[in-house]
Amino acid sequence: MNAEGLESFREFVDNRSSALLKTAVLLCGGDQHAGEDLLQTALAKAAGKWQRIDEPEAYVRRILYRQQVSRWRLKWRRREVSVAEPPEAGAGSVDAAAAAELRVVMREALARLTARQRTVLVLRYFEDLPEADVARLLGCTVGTVRSTTHRSLARLRSLAPELAALGPADAERQSSRDYSPLEVRP
Amino acid sequence: MNVEELVRDALREQAAEQSPARPGFADRVLAFRRRRRTRRIATAAVATAAVLAVVVGLPMLDSGRGTDVRPADVVPKTEVTAHPDQSPPRELISAGNTRLAAYFVPRTVRKSADTAVYERTYWLLDQKTGRYEKTTKWSWVAVAPGMKTAAVLEQDLPASRIGLLDLTTGEVARWIPVDHPVGGLAFSRDGRKLVATTYGENPDLRVKMEGSDGWDQKQPSSRTGFHVLDVASGKGSWTEVGLGGDPEDPMGSFLNSRQDFALTGDGRYVWAGNPMGDIGKQFYDFTGKEVPVPAGDKHLSWYVDAGKSPDGRLVAGDFAGEKWKTSSWVLDAATGKKTEVHGQQLLAWVGNTSLIAWDIAKGGKNEFHQRLVLVTIGSDKVVPLSDFRKGNDGDAGRWEPVFAER
Repeated sequence: MNAEGLESFREFVDNRSSALLKTAVLLCGGDQHAGEDLLQTALAKAAGKWQRIDEPEAYVRRILYRQQVSRWRLKWRRREVSVAEPPEAGAGSVDAAAAAELRVVMREALARLTARQRTVLVLRYFEDLPEADVARLLGCTVGTVRSTTHRSLARLRSLAPELAALGPADAERQSSRDYSPLEVRP
Repeated sequence: MNVEELVRDALREQAAEQSPARPGFADRVLAFRRRRRTRRIATAAVATAAVLAVVVGLPMLDSGRGTDVRPADVVPKTEVTAHPDQSPPRELISAGNTRLAAYFVPRTVRKSADTAVYERTYWLLDQKTGRYEKTTKWSWVAVAPGMKTAAVLEQDLPASRIGLLDLTTGEVARWIPVDHPVGGLAFSRDGRKLVATTYGENPDLRVKMEGSDGWDQKQPSSRTGFHVLDVASGKGSWTEVGLGGDPEDPMGSFLNSRQDFALTGDGRYVWAGNPMGDIGKQFYDFTGKEVPVPAGDKHLSWYVDAGKSPDGRLVAGDFAGEKWKTSSWVLDAATGKKTEVHGQQLLAWVGNTSLIAWDIAKGGKNEFHQRLVLVTIGSDKVVPLSDFRKGNDGDAGRWEPVFAER
């Protein structure tokens, strides 16, 4: 990378690393250190091709997602996942406190999904991407995205019985296996 | 509120609480990139290790010259030959009928300014002397159950012929020419069939990222299909298997550059990992038609070398780390019920209740400094079999085991 490339790389990282880190940490189930490791590796890969990349953010994100689901990591490196304590039910209503508690339960359950399951949920529900975009980013079919979403939500329910009272999601109403022939082309 | 909404809210709340990236992150990335070693996606040595399982009625191994550790209270009939002072081992390591048949020392060898090859230097067990002897002839060695024969590939993958090496004489007894070049080999559990994974180019090729010290896998994978060969006659056929995904995608499909096939325990199907696939693996019949996951293979993980127990009832699983700092799951092949056993990575079964695993020292901090250990389901006992590997992933001092049943 020449000086110009180096400067643009630094500028990109300075401006975008906080936003990218949010995604990376979510992909790692809330593990800050693992998220930093993941982002660092993705940025290092992108740095190698920096001056040939048209859309750096899209490129880095794609590496991030794919790296997370493809790499086999020694999972014992996983550190303690920090989960915020549920706020005291003081001034807020009981419902608000219960909702906050459910979110904490959900975070813990998300941290226990497989990397692939979590990645699909982050892309669908945090990045708000349609199924076709998720499929394109991950290099799989829409059917795979759909069935992974379905199974991941079911897994969350089984991990956290507290979620049993919640209504079924749209994704859960669909068939768990979807042999849709839809192949997504960029 | 439904589950989707709660997932969305929980993720957003978590992201909002996230502290920003620390200052100087760009410099850290650049420094990391400079010192980065080749840290591969663990290309499963499914092929090298999936050679266990034929139960042979031979007498138990003599404890030999090594330290004879007999955890009689825990594993009554497992005799162990251990060398807890050797890494890599110089002399036979074994537990029960499972032997360290060979090991290889990996090295990434630069071939040009921007290409390199991940090469293996094998050390094969000399069955007469009980010592491991170096050979530079082979780029790939798969040892058949019984340890009489190994299938080998010459240097410069993919290879156009497969050698059947007589392990008692060290000579190639027969060459099997193949019309589609081969990059990896794995025997069936009964040793009668051999699956050879075919590639368009060397699956161990590494490419350089511009301006980086590190090497990356070449993407997309050049895997083309597999041969299934009858070992006795050398006859068989080639089957094409596509990569899946989108061939136009510059980042490739989600296969590792080496993603070898193996035969299922009953020898009826061929399967391989598919890291981004629906269930992480795919099964095919010998015509290349994808088939549903066979009963009992549902819980197989392509990156866990030990695979299924000899009786097919249990499956070695992923890292667990719940009860102990380093431990793994063993799953009931039928129900998926999990049991935690010691061991960071499960490598090979020893009978139906014990396994050889990599594990770090108690209180060890470096995840890469592992030694071979014998662990047993339902037991707290961890029996060291070798000394600790040195270096970090990709450094000197690393070696990778190849187990086989004798």
